[in-house]
Amino acid sequence: MSGHPAPDELLLDYAVGALPEGPALAVAAHVALDPASRRMVDALAAAGGALLDGEAATSLEERTLDDVLGRLDKVPVEPGPQRNLRPVGPDWAPLPLRPYLSQGASWKRVFGGFEEIRIGLQSDTHRVSLLRLQPGQGLPVHRHVAAEYTVVLQGGYSDGRGSYSVGDFALGSGETEHEPVADPGEPCIALIVLEEPIVLTGRWGRWINPLLRRGWI
Amino acid sequence: MTADEAADLIEAIAIRQDRTAFAALFRYYAPRVKSFVIRGGCDAESAQEVAQETLIMVWRKAATFDRQRAAAATWIYTIARNKRIDQLRRSDKPAIDTEDWLTVFAPEDEDADRSVLAGQTYARMKDLMEGLPPDQIAVIRKAFFEDKTHTAIATEMGLPLGTVKSRIRLALGRLRQALEKEDEEKR
Repeated sequence: MSGHPAPDELLLDYAVGALPEGPALAVAAHVALDPASRRMVDALAAAGGALLDGEAATSLEERTLDDVLGRLDKVPVEPGPQRNLRPVGPDWAPLPLRPYLSQGASWKRVFGGFEEIRIGLQSDTHRVSLLRLQPGQGLPVHRHVAAEYTVVLQGGYSDGRGSYSVGDFALGSGETEHEPVADPGEPCIALIVLEEPIVLTGRWGRWINPLLRRGWI
Repeated sequence: MTADEAADLIEAIAIRQDRTAFAALFRYYAPRVKSFVIRGGCDAESAQEVAQETLIMVWRKAATFDRQRAAAATWIYTIARNKRIDQLRRSDKPAIDTEDWLTVFAPEDEDADRSVLAGQTYARMKDLMEGLPPDQIAVIRKAFFEDKTHTAIATEMGLPLGTVKSRIRLALGRLRQALEKEDEEKR
């Protein structure tokens, strides 16, 4: 069990399908790496199943079943799961993330000296990136305008709030200011999902914030 | 229909494309899926469509069903959930299907006594849901069936947001306790 699981309310929103794509991807990555959260999501899905089973049956028109039976011949049947067939992708990427990395994404060095892979979503409500920091390397001190979801995929980092290692989930919100620094050892790779651009509060902030707001960097 | 009976029917579909098994599953679950979708605010016609599409997906994906990983009702719930989201054409909703969680995403090394676990978890959740106090079950049902944010639920039920949040938290707390109890019994 990781030290920083996602909150139960967020796991509920994920299990019922209420999350937009960006946060759903962050929770999916966390759940892939954290057995305790996975267990909770399984239990929530089971609760959904139990509620479905307990529903009163609403009558269906008699011919509905016949219609459906008539359509079955044209329905392609899927083969069983091939569990040993792992989708291609780097070792540190949990399965839900791999389809998003399929277009040969590569690390790009960005301002501040860390590296980034931008991830495109089908929807553009959130900005999603992978960040890679070398041991001891820090992100510039910043605060968030809205929610920030972080999942550690490799290595670890620490900030004023605690230490985060593989599978840990951090939810940054509103006016909290923090300055994460990668722990010694392997480079730290984290998935970051932002609802709104961050605001840098250090001395370069006034030059860089307008660019961040426009999504140029 | 018991969980085992439903799982047997899905396996019969997977192994020999058994139409009689499909018809039995359809007669039980399609009307329930329809009710579930109507609760979410769909009209009867769209709800019927979602119910049909859900059961067709059951036919299509029967071979991926694994009773060791999820109860039949759980699996059908996740399919219905995804179909309802498609129906509402919410393009901002995840392309990540939780039903995949129940089949392919779970790591192999966790498989030890999983068969007991999936069945137990389902039975426990069923007891739990049936035993929740009415105020909690009302809120939880909305969260599950209507895919609504806490704020939307609060507005609709004419309750303060804090009340909705605390009822959801209480219900989730009971769910956590049930899981812990399960862990203790395993030891």
